[in-house]
Amino acid sequence: MDIKKFEKPEYFGNRELSWLKFNDRVLSEARDKSLPLFERLKFLSITASNLDEFFMVRVASLKDQVHAGYSKTDIAGLTAKEQLKEISVQTHELVHMQYTTLNRSLLPALAKSGMHLVVEHELLNKEQGEFVDRYFEDNVYPVLTPMAMDSSRPFPLIRNKTLNIGALISKKDKKKGKEQLEFATVQVPSVLPRVIQIPSAKKGDTTVILLEEIIERNIEKLFLSYNVVCAHPYRIMRNADLTIDEDEAEDLLVEIQKQLKKRQWGEVIRLEVQEKTDERLLKILKTEFEIKEEDIFEISGPLDLTMLMKVYGQEGFDKYRTPRYVPAPVPRFREEKDIFKVIRKGDVFLHHPYMSFDPVVDFVRQAAKDPEVLAIKQTLYRVSGNSPIIAALAQAAENGKQVSVLVELKARFDEENNIVWAKKLEKAGCHVIYGLVGLKTHSKITLVVRREETGIRRYVHLATGNYNDSTAKIYTDCGIFTCDERFGEDATAVFNMLSGYSEPKKWNKLIVAPIWMKDRFLKLIEREAEHAKKGMPAYIVAKMNSLCDPVIMAALYYASSCGVQIYLLVRGICCLKVGIPGVSENIHVRSIVGDFLEHSRIFYFHNGGSEEIYMGSADWMPRNLDRRVEIVFPVEDEAIKKELVHILTLEFKDNVKAHLLKSDGSYEKQDKRGKILINSQMEFCREATEQAQEKQAKKEKSRVFIPAEPAEDVEE
Amino acid sequence: MAVTTFAAIDVGSYEVSMKIFELSRKVGFKELTDIRYRLELGKGAYSRGKLERDMVDALCGILLDFKRVMKEFGAEEYRACATSVFRELKNPIVILEQVFQRTGIQVEILSNAEQHFLGYKSIAAIETGFKKMIQKGTAILDVGGGSLQVSLFDKDALVTTQSLKMGSMRVRERLKELEKTSNHYGQLVEEFIRNDIMSFQRLYLKDQDIKNVILMGDFLTDTIFQEERRDNIVTKAEFMNKYEQVVDMPVQRLSEMMEIDPEYASLVVPTMVICKNFIEVFNAEALWAPGLSLLDGIAYDFAEKKKFIKSAHNFENDIIIASKNIAKRYSTGKNHINGTTEIALAIFDSIKKVHGMGARERLLLQIAVLLHDCGKYISMGDVSECSYRIIMETEIIGLSTRERNIIANVVRYNTKEFRQYGTYEGGTTTDRDNYLLIAKLTAILRIANAMDRSHYQKVTDIRTVLKERELSVIVDSPRDLSLELGLLRDKVEFFEEVFGIHLVLRRKRRI
Repeated sequence: MDIKKFEKPEYFGNRELSWLKFNDRVLSEARDKSLPLFERLKFLSITASNLDEFFMVRVASLKDQVHAGYSKTDIAGLTAKEQLKEISVQTHELVHMQYTTLNRSLLPALAKSGMHLVVEHELLNKEQGEFVDRYFEDNVYPVLTPMAMDSSRPFPLIRNKTLNIGALISKKDKKKGKEQLEFATVQVPSVLPRVIQIPSAKKGDTTVILLEEIIERNIEKLFLSYNVVCAHPYRIMRNADLTIDEDEAEDLLVEIQKQLKKRQWGEVIRLEVQEKTDERLLKILKTEFEIKEEDIFEISGPLDLTMLMKVYGQEGFDKYRTPRYVPAPVPRFREEKDIFKVIRKGDVFLHHPYMSFDPVVDFVRQAAKDPEVLAIKQTLYRVSGNSPIIAALAQAAENGKQVSVLVELKARFDEENNIVWAKKLEKAGCHVIYGLVGLKTHSKITLVVRREETGIRRYVHLATGNYNDSTAKIYTDCGIFTCDERFGEDATAVFNMLSGYSEPKKWNKLIVAPIWMKDRFLKLIEREAEHAKKGMPAYIVAKMNSLCDPVIMAALYYASSCGVQIYLLVRGICCLKVGIPGVSENIHVRSIVGDFLEHSRIFYFHNGGSEEIYMGSADWMPRNLDRRVEIVFPVEDEAIKKELVHILTLEFKDNVKAHLLKSDGSYEKQDKRGKILINSQMEFCREATEQAQEKQAKKEKSRVFIPAEPAEDVEE
Repeated sequence: MAVTTFAAIDVGSYEVSMKIFELSRKVGFKELTDIRYRLELGKGAYSRGKLERDMVDALCGILLDFKRVMKEFGAEEYRACATSVFRELKNPIVILEQVFQRTGIQVEILSNAEQHFLGYKSIAAIETGFKKMIQKGTAILDVGGGSLQVSLFDKDALVTTQSLKMGSMRVRERLKELEKTSNHYGQLVEEFIRNDIMSFQRLYLKDQDIKNVILMGDFLTDTIFQEERRDNIVTKAEFMNKYEQVVDMPVQRLSEMMEIDPEYASLVVPTMVICKNFIEVFNAEALWAPGLSLLDGIAYDFAEKKKFIKSAHNFENDIIIASKNIAKRYSTGKNHINGTTEIALAIFDSIKKVHGMGARERLLLQIAVLLHDCGKYISMGDVSECSYRIIMETEIIGLSTRERNIIANVVRYNTKEFRQYGTYEGGTTTDRDNYLLIAKLTAILRIANAMDRSHYQKVTDIRTVLKERELSVIVDSPRDLSLELGLLRDKVEFFEEVFGIHLVLRRKRRI
């Protein structure tokens, strides 16, 4: 397979800009008037928190590159400087769109619904004003620490991501002549709720105000012997991450290490201020933060829209929210409580959040109690705060099982959280492995070793999503249970490798990154191309979070040029371009952005009719294929394969939440006129619920009496 | 169904590995897991005869971890074996005691002969083609880190087995300094091992026609021939192709190409050169690499002892044939040996209840008989001491050092005066049990030997009857037995002392 000729910069998009397009798609949900009002608030809030993370990780990293004098271009042929320039333009547009949406559409609609969000304290009536002032005195004032800057006091340290109010003040007993202005600042305390409910002007309505408005209204009380000339909120984002993002190239790492001293720790990379902020105040901020014009965002509304999540959570207003979906029970586990017995009958497929995550938790729980279970092994990447899985693992260790857990400490933003419960597990007697040097362990696998009459039997759970019972309600993920010995043997080998032992002589079924996976995918793509060349039907359907591995993309271009029809469901970043003549005319890309976060990775290869389907934890990104421990596994059970084909097919029929990638790089929703609306996520909800009820109904309707059988003993 | 989970551990020169097996009568044995940890114990051992403390620490760490893995599979029994590294240490027992105190794992040191016998056992047991193959001349080549073993088979039996101290790691360590001075590392290795290989050829390959070569091995040999050995057969052309490809390749490239650790990769060229030279010496057309290791052999041996499996191949026969070949090399009289063997075994079998020894001891007796005269080759005047020394210096496949020591002593005291326990000169390896065993076997050997003193094989038939505390040995001979019967008297005294029974020798009446 000669893919070199497809590795041209003009065939690829920049990943950061592609990511921004993803955030646009999320924003378009907030702008979609057919959605319940509060859901739109939620999406707007998500765009804000997404953007924060983007700055902290990606923009910060690009800044590092500029400082390090790293001049290599990305796959699209852009230098870091060029990327930053374009990012600045596009993020400004995005922010503008966020606030237009808020101000023109959402706030008026909210008011109509009876929810008043006071974004300017000047609009409060007398009664509300009194309430707010009282609240300030009782709750806010005691925790405020105003700080001033003058010749003896330097500019104070403003913490990353905090909301602050900057003010210009002047002495009251000023001597005639010049007014001497001083800068003062106070942090909006993060210990207090940002959104505070206050009395409403109209009965039955709900009114909320933002904390910074309460402080602004009372700012005079902080500087008693001064006049407050002006006061405006501002917020900064710093390049504060100590580690370098794993997405970056190896040689960059080296480069940055060399330039470590030059790296500007805590450099301010974004400044958000309210529109119409006093010029003099803005000048001080600009000077003190040493920030360039293009990194300043003048905001026409409240800063930091993540607070909208709090508004979303206000009581009442249920008719403005989509009813919460309750994951349906998994039929096969409902009929038989012994999970191991069910798995022995055949592989079980789970599709979250449509189906409940409980079987996965119960799998570990039951294993912890089962006297015949010898060992439990699991990889944990991100777990929920009060995880039942952790509790079960600890219980298992206390019950004398051999419990090995690989805890990934390098999971972004979760480090602290992870270390706490890892210590907890260790105390309970688990064997805890704290990740691997230089590699993130992203694979999701659980192995239970059980002693049975016929010998040792291994039960394996493999998944596309983390062992996190909270996110399993929001992320769409797939998983399977199996006790196929070939998978069991591989699972043991995976954990041996993770414990530092040498790789196995061969893998039966699993495809493991960073060593074997990329080649394997390339071979699968090539095989499809070979079929196409021979004139046989050739298809690839793949679903993932992001697609930006240049080699894989080049291989896809090659396959497309050979005539393979390629259908891709890429939720987030997609650096592949469609519709390039002779290169990617046969590639179709769509992105589904809906209530649930599309998170599963499914790979389908037509293979001349004997279809092969794989699932796993890896995206087609360099970090997944080259710098992480990932597992992709084949699905062999025919019934499960059918289900997966159904999932992929239905998602390609989605005309409500799917955005299609155009050849100009933009995304567009389909024209829905005259079509039956299909919202794949809602369809899956309906199907899962129906399936669960069907089984239940069958049971109840039966007129045949079934004699009960004596309870079976746990197998010896 | 009874299922036993068994762990086999191998403390080798460049890696510590463990396999866990499930054994049952129904399915024989099934491998559950195979884990390996790269630890170059051989580094210090081969050059200084010592293990650094951090190596011991690392070893203990791995063994503790293995213990945990054993629990994960509920393995109740294990056998942990150390090979050439520990054989070369100045004070292995002290280290093993430390290891035991720290990990609770008892590691035994396998003699070279035992080690390779176990490996060989695993092939014979698992591969069905083996029996057919060894009808013709067959060589088993087992390249380890410290040493390599060549075993030759013909007509269904082992002909000879030799250990050469040129394992891959030892070669690498010895040539470390020279490596920098030469651009042709492969050639360097070849020249280094050439002499030993030529000697081997001169001594043992004269009248052997080798048709098949079986390559035993470990992870490394498996990796090298990964592509070629899909059907477990590597042809000479395939081998040479691979050889040309890798022989002058830098370690870094090798490790990338084979997707293995650079430390392993540095052992590839020595291994390849060794194999190549043997292929040339044997003039073999193909290599058969069944992909089995010592660990399989350990498990097989365990399974056989616990009667989970029954082998079609008679391994004891291999040991006896190998011993016979040793006897032949020292020009021992075949007829005398046969005669003595018959008598010795007849006595052994008839007083089983008295001596309480089993099949293994019977085998040892048989070998003692085979070798009891070999010292004559050196000196007629001091046969017992010379025989003792020959046996102590000759590897007998399948026997542990302890067993060889017992045989050597039995042979020595066949004609020498037996010592009391305590004043015994067997050295540190002789404990009370061994002493008793030596005494018992010596007593039997002495009687049997004396009955064919004239080496005329006068006894044509022998019958033994044990009644109460009296053993009657009834012999039939057409010839005059005066010499034998006369000499027997001193031997009987010792026999009676050891077993506490009365021995009566009768001559069958001829009509």
